[in-house]
Amino acid sequence: MIEAKHIGLSINGKTLLNDVNLSVQPGTFTAIAGPNGAGKSSLLKILSHELTHYKGEVRINDVVASSYSVAQLSAVRAVLPQHSHVQFPFTVKQIVEMGRQHFKTTSKNNDALLEEVMELTGVVDWANRNYLTLSGGEQQRVQLTRVLAQVWDQKTFPRYVLLDEPTSSLDIAQQQLIFSLVKKACERNIGVLAVVHDLNQAVQFADHLYFMRNGAVVAQGESKTVFTKPIIEETFCCRVNVYHDPCTNCPYIVPERTTLSTLKTASV
Amino acid sequence: MIAAIPLKQQKVGTVLGVLAVVLVMVMIVALSIGQVTIPVKDIVMIMLYKAGLTAQEPDAVLETVLWSIRLPRIIMTVLIGAALAISGAAMQGLFRNPLVEPGLIGVSSGAALAVVAFVVFGIALIGNSVFGTSVMMPVAAFVGGFVATMLVMKIGQQLGKTNIAVLILGGVAINALAGALMGLVIFYADENQLRMFTFWTLGDLGGATWQKVLITAPVLLLSSVWMLTYQFPLNAIAIGEAEAFHMGVDVERVKKSIVFFSALAVGVSVSLAGIIGFIGLVVPHLVRVIFRADNRLVLPASLLGGPILLLLSDLLARTLVAPTELPIGVVTALIGAPFFIFLLIRANHRNEFNTR
Repeated sequence: MIEAKHIGLSINGKTLLNDVNLSVQPGTFTAIAGPNGAGKSSLLKILSHELTHYKGEVRINDVVASSYSVAQLSAVRAVLPQHSHVQFPFTVKQIVEMGRQHFKTTSKNNDALLEEVMELTGVVDWANRNYLTLSGGEQQRVQLTRVLAQVWDQKTFPRYVLLDEPTSSLDIAQQQLIFSLVKKACERNIGVLAVVHDLNQAVQFADHLYFMRNGAVVAQGESKTVFTKPIIEETFCCRVNVYHDPCTNCPYIVPERTTLSTLKTASV
Repeated sequence: MIAAIPLKQQKVGTVLGVLAVVLVMVMIVALSIGQVTIPVKDIVMIMLYKAGLTAQEPDAVLETVLWSIRLPRIIMTVLIGAALAISGAAMQGLFRNPLVEPGLIGVSSGAALAVVAFVVFGIALIGNSVFGTSVMMPVAAFVGGFVATMLVMKIGQQLGKTNIAVLILGGVAINALAGALMGLVIFYADENQLRMFTFWTLGDLGGATWQKVLITAPVLLLSSVWMLTYQFPLNAIAIGEAEAFHMGVDVERVKKSIVFFSALAVGVSVSLAGIIGFIGLVVPHLVRVIFRADNRLVLPASLLGGPILLLLSDLLARTLVAPTELPIGVVTALIGAPFFIFLLIRANHRNEFNTR
């Protein structure tokens, strides 16, 4: 389990996070939603140990995060950023296998695992293609493959995948594909934490939902129970209606048309 | 036309093997050709004699030319070519920028400033002795280059981390400052000193002696080979610094080591042979454009390719206008620049570089 307790963060005197508590269980998908500037990405950076000057404590599998070495951390968690800008013409396979550099067992096992993950994400046909010639959606899928390859091995301890708005520039088919793949990872004792912008997607895929606003958690719980009109309206300061979709058996929201006057009352 | 071959991992060994064979062949040619031609048969004879494997005494003139002049020069050229090329390759990977060359972090300009100051003021102080020019000038170059790089490193430090953008800007600032100070010093230089300095900045491999080679070889070899070990970290950094950290790379340590070792390698090279441009920029590019960007190939192939290119350039430099020599820096740029432009135009059509 990743457990963050009383996390506080301020940069240049501005408080970005204030007493945030959060936990990610292995084998489940946890999503964080909230308006821009709520501190979601900062929280993710703290959990991945990119930011280290925070208050509070992060424990990964019951061990304090700061006592892990950089290499040890890479064995328990992988991170997919919003965008990766690759500068040189690597092939798809070269990018994917970088995720496995530290955990090569035998080259035969390694190749089999790479093959398995690439097959799963559907990038195996592009293995020898130049990454720079792929479209944005294809590139993101390759990056996800790299991230999954890093933690795919069944180990004695649970692993985690942290995703920061992994689908922000993708079309809906690609978005659904990415989330389904992430969901597959949960079956391998991997805990997933994702910052998600699309609320309907969050409730459709996540087991557990956190709503954040102004650096604090507004509400959290089992996704379908916290996905309510009052919580969403409070989090986003936006009038919404929540319906139920019988096909997916999921709630979904439709935001009300915003007029300038409602915007003003919302911000008060 | 050179085709870009999609390179599988197994083929890396083949490419490196071919490059190694080419390097040995070029070395033999470079040993053989010059103002005095030494047939390959005699090269072998002299080598065997020196190794104590044959008692048959070789031609004394050929022996002197080969053993005292050409061999140290060839060895020094190989070491410098390797050091410059792998430093360039490592720094391009580290800075995630294909336009970077070692000069960017101030090594060359710091060294140049130290040398011009030494030529104008230092020689006046200790006299124009052999000791002064052959020992103190390289030492000044090395110290100048190293101090400049450490300054740039210091400027690039923010909150205990190295900020690459600030580091590059720091390099630009230090280069400009060194250039201005050089201008000031040159203001006080006389004709002779100016000529001496100008030739130094164009590079010269002619000053090689066994003594110099033996002193500097360990440093050059060690720093070059050490940089070879950064193949995976540099590949990971090519995806992004944060991504590399996520994949288990101690990015901060990698940055410091590579800047330090390339400053060391380039500093020593500059102190031996003056400023030789282009090798550090072009060789890694040749490897990347002809093959692939994977640093598991780019680093070792640069280590072998740098010496090949520098040996060939040096061969031209000392044969084209014999009995005198062209400055090596002129030759590397004269050959390198047009070829590089050709590659860039071609790469442009094939989206070899990320233009976003």
